Amino acid sequence: MTEFALLLQAGSTGDPTAIGVFRFFAAFVLIVTIYSSFLGFTYWISKDE
Amino acid sequence: MPIGNLDVPVIGKNVVIAVLVQSHILFAAFIIGAVLIAATSEYLGMVTKQNNYERFARNLARFVVLLFASGAALAITFVLALVTLFPVFFSILQNVFFWVFLVEAFMFLGQIIIVYAWYNVWDKLAYRKSLHVVFGFIAGFFGLMAMTMIDSVASFMLTPAEVTSQSDLVALSFLNQTMVPLNMHRFIGNFSYAGFLIAGWAGWRYLRTTQEDDREYYDWMGHFGLLWGFGFLIMQPVIGYGYLKGIRESSPDSFNTIMLGDKSWVFNLLVLWIAVLSIASTAYFVHKLRFAVKPMETLRKLAVGALGFTALFTVLNVIPADADLIPQIGLVFGQGEGTQIPLGSMYPWKYIGLIGLMLVGFFVVALYLRASATGFHWGRASRWSQVALMSCAFFVILTMVTMGYTRETARRVDNNPGYLIHWCVTLDQQIVGEKCPTKPLSEAASR
Repeated sequence: MTEFALLLQAGSTGDPTAIGVFRFFAAFVLIVTIYSSFLGFTYWISKDE
Repeated sequence: MPIGNLDVPVIGKNVVIAVLVQSHILFAAFIIGAVLIAATSEYLGMVTKQNNYERFARNLARFVVLLFASGAALAITFVLALVTLFPVFFSILQNVFFWVFLVEAFMFLGQIIIVYAWYNVWDKLAYRKSLHVVFGFIAGFFGLMAMTMIDSVASFMLTPAEVTSQSDLVALSFLNQTMVPLNMHRFIGNFSYAGFLIAGWAGWRYLRTTQEDDREYYDWMGHFGLLWGFGFLIMQPVIGYGYLKGIRESSPDSFNTIMLGDKSWVFNLLVLWIAVLSIASTAYFVHKLRFAVKPMETLRKLAVGALGFTALFTVLNVIPADADLIPQIGLVFGQGEGTQIPLGSMYPWKYIGLIGLMLVGFFVVALYLRASATGFHWGRASRWSQVALMSCAFFVILTMVTMGYTRETARRVDNNPGYLIHWCVTLDQQIVGEKCPTKPLSEAASR
């Protein structure tokens, strides 16, 4: 896990632990979720016009 | 409590900013691109009297009006998060970019007003179509100006301007070394991104619809969207090259990080997405030429050849330079950096790949436009061609997210320390003076 964390925070003097990996994927999932849900909502309110 | 020392539980404050900005830009880029595409389509409808253009422009304009709230809400939430989590950094930005932010706010306001007016007077100005089209283009112009303002801030963060006196601070920071290339890159990118999304949406609707006239319309819409998407994508290698050249000259360590160093895998990912986009688009064009009203067998054979070359050139771009693929997770073969992979070096292979991709792209788009002039039989496209369109929409989103991550992570360099403004302000909001080229800023560190 630590090696994988280094992939995302290469050479980091911070804390290249599992939290780094978690945060990377949490960010990605959040972006995709916000994006697709807002798009979906916009489609939903416009489809019956 | 020290100012700006707030953190966010679990995900951390950097992720909060990243999530809000990346989500916002996925909407904002689409809105700017879509407004200009819709206005152009409305104009084409006015000139050609073809109903598809008008129907498409109006539907897209309505979608943009409805989508605007989401994009704007994310922008405001982002600014709120930035003020709360990075107040010192935001204050520094305000000191340098007060006028830029002020202009940006008014451009944003202008864009909202004109976009809503444009959609709302669609019927009222039905007999003054030229004037109505101008509304659309003005809305697009305001969007582009807002983007230009924020681009100066974003580019300054990576390549702060070389400023020696306070009187030059505002102008030189605005026109910093990578501001123009970044702005060009995003200007072209807006069209490409919106075009691919439109094509993907059309593909999805084409497969779902049961009515013949809708089927024809969505087939046409996929073609129209992809022309924007791929047509503008193939301009990007040369503009992207200019942008990266600017980064290399002004912030060489950032350039090395993302192109040669620990984070170069993000660029490999990027060219992989572009390979998918290019091959899927060219394959779609080849397929579509089958349905040209005036049969064009020779053109189609040339397009098949172009597809082969597209595949060749995109694969050339993807080949890594050495066997030290992703050392951090042990993805190393042979002697790592000592093992050079054939055809993997930047010079000449990747230059050949990028230039070749552009030339073949222009060639196939020219062929396709030539066939479009006499028209296609709409509504006959195959299922897989629509899947190609939908995969373009998916991969263009990945491209946007990857590029955003690449630019922002470039400032981290080796994280010792990572920077908010390269060489000037660290991730923990400390102004550091030594290498900062913006002297009025660095002098504040010594006071």
